[in-house]
Amino acid sequence: MHTAVISLVTFLSLLLGPDPARGQTVVVGSKHFNEGYILAEISAQLLEDRGFRVERKFGLGGTLVCFEALRNGEIGLYPEYSGTLEQAILKLPHRVSHRELREILKRRFDLDLLESFGFSNTYAIAVSRRLARVRGLKTISDLAKFSNLRFGFSHEFLNRQDGWPGLARTYGLPARPVGIEHGLAYHAIREDRLDVTDVYSTDGDIKKFDLVLLEDDRRYFPEYLAALLVRGGLDEQIKRILGELAGTITAAEMQGLNGQVLLERKSFAEVAQQFLREEGLLRSQGQALLGSRWGTLLFRAATHVELTLIALVAGMAVAIPGGILIYRLRAISKPVVYLAGLLQTIPSIALLAFMIPFFGIGAKPAIVALFLYALLPILRNTAAALFSIDPVLKRVSVGMGLTAWQRLRYVELPLAAPTILAGIKTAAVINIGTATLAAFIGAGGLGEPIVTGLALNDTTLILEGAVPAALLAIVTEWGFEGLEKLLIPKHLLQKPAE
Amino acid sequence: MAQIALEKVSRVYGDEKALQDIDLTFADDVTTAVVGPSGSGKSTLLQVINGLVRPSHGTVSVFREPIDYGRLPELRLRIGYAVQGTGLFPHLTVEENITLLARLAKWDVEQIKARTEELMRLVNLPVSFAQRYPHELSGGQQQRVGLCRAMVLNPRIFLLDEPFGALDPITRNEIQREFLHLQQMEARTIVLVTHDLREALKLAQRLVVLDRGSLVQHGTCKEILEDPASGFVRSFFQSQLEQ
Repeated sequence: MHTAVISLVTFLSLLLGPDPARGQTVVVGSKHFNEGYILAEISAQLLEDRGFRVERKFGLGGTLVCFEALRNGEIGLYPEYSGTLEQAILKLPHRVSHRELREILKRRFDLDLLESFGFSNTYAIAVSRRLARVRGLKTISDLAKFSNLRFGFSHEFLNRQDGWPGLARTYGLPARPVGIEHGLAYHAIREDRLDVTDVYSTDGDIKKFDLVLLEDDRRYFPEYLAALLVRGGLDEQIKRILGELAGTITAAEMQGLNGQVLLERKSFAEVAQQFLREEGLLRSQGQALLGSRWGTLLFRAATHVELTLIALVAGMAVAIPGGILIYRLRAISKPVVYLAGLLQTIPSIALLAFMIPFFGIGAKPAIVALFLYALLPILRNTAAALFSIDPVLKRVSVGMGLTAWQRLRYVELPLAAPTILAGIKTAAVINIGTATLAAFIGAGGLGEPIVTGLALNDTTLILEGAVPAALLAIVTEWGFEGLEKLLIPKHLLQKPAE
Repeated sequence: MAQIALEKVSRVYGDEKALQDIDLTFADDVTTAVVGPSGSGKSTLLQVINGLVRPSHGTVSVFREPIDYGRLPELRLRIGYAVQGTGLFPHLTVEENITLLARLAKWDVEQIKARTEELMRLVNLPVSFAQRYPHELSGGQQQRVGLCRAMVLNPRIFLLDEPFGALDPITRNEIQREFLHLQQMEARTIVLVTHDLREALKLAQRLVVLDRGSLVQHGTCKEILEDPASGFVRSFFQSQLEQ
């Protein structure tokens, strides 16, 4: 099955992907927000144009995910911001120049910070135009005058030293903000559920949602110069080519590029190609930008199924014998089930993040995380089913002369099968759902359009991933029902009413 | 040359003595019924013989050798075992239940089929029931399947734990008749645990009377009826037979 999925994937990528380039492969990463995608796509297309093969790992979870992936060599480069490097990564006590920053990164991490794209995308505080008018809000200081405003910030902003904690101190803001997904914050403001949020100054959404930026009258936010951060070991030729992008984009232009994606619903690939063409950076005539929509969907679904299936099979391989072991060694049953339960309570995105230091990014950490999630339902059902077998049957099977293995094989496991199968079904459905989050760490699958859609506030795009994922879950349910009918005598099946 | 012998056998659960110092030799090729009030240790005595219960003290010999507790499955294959409520495996058909041990012993298909039909005829089960599941059978039919399963490898020893306990009187009567018929055709050493003294007298040639884990009396039915060893045996018989 696995090989079948892989060959299908290979076949599809041959069908859809660009002509396998002659040069080496460069892995380009990006964080999961609009501008990150665009800058990464611009870099990727430029390299492709010059004959390099590019693997895209876009939409990675956050700053730390990207930075760690870069240090571990999982990706070769990604767009980053000077302020973020100073504050969130290096935690420098004072401001440094761009040149100093480059020296520190080179010395400490062997990373090269290329020349800036030419604009700064700093944090800004935004409110709706209506609220600004009604309350007379012009500067961030004005916010301190009102005690009943509702603050909601992206999780990253909320927790960064250069984010909310410092902002609150500098301006004496007493508010208790809630954490909210960046893309959702705009909707919350439009629906009048939220008054104040953090935005990036080049955000295309500012225009779309008719927001007003409040003036940073105490000069709190540092400069966030956008630049590519690349591994020191990367081919000098690649660095030189990427260097051509230095100083090509102003803040206004970036807002425009962001807006093209957000407002005009153009794809990243289109926007990037158009930009490169206008800048005269493309040498070739360009290529087909997108595979067919259905092809992409099929490819994602295949990846999704592959992730889920490998994790599920591995989960079964560990959890079913584990359940049997628990049944035989009663003493370890409680601790093992508690441990598996504990794993289950770790939020998916956190579990995925934990995996990165060990397994990097991509399919491997995703499969490991999904595998861990699959353990509990299978383990618990296996053990519970074995424990609940009628003691008379157990006594008879021992008394008639079956060995321990024969009892397991011919009596206990067949009797436990319906419950074990139900556990596997639960694990499969959980995995299909959780696998959508795997796109945050570059594993692909149906989560890819969801993650991108969240970054873009694009409901259509979100549905493009969510609907197939839901269908997949339903088909899986059906599949397991069929399997039950096939494997288990009807009178042993649990009644559907339970 | 007794096939089953217990020598100073005790079984202790915490403070409770389920069996106490039992010296007992079961006569070959006859049916011995184990009787006594509930909690007297009847089932424990039976399970000591096939190693389901291991004595705290004393020695149990089966087939003239002390039980080797490291090789119990091999011993048990030579002992038929049937219990109250049949203990049929619900996920297996009648045929699969009966022939499980034969299949594990790698009998060939023809042999298995012949044995199934032979056994089913022996206990008056229609051969057409072979493909049914236990839940599709009446209690009496299930009990017959249970007996077939215990007989499949043709064991020389039979351990029956209240096998007819849950049946209605008419069915019980029928099966008891069949049981006697089977024993007539081919005598085996049978240990039958029952709470029903009438059943014991009807099916067994010898009786073992237990009280609170101790052996009170052992002999032929006639000996015990005519000469009860103690007041306990006399009153136990009276109370049982007057009902």
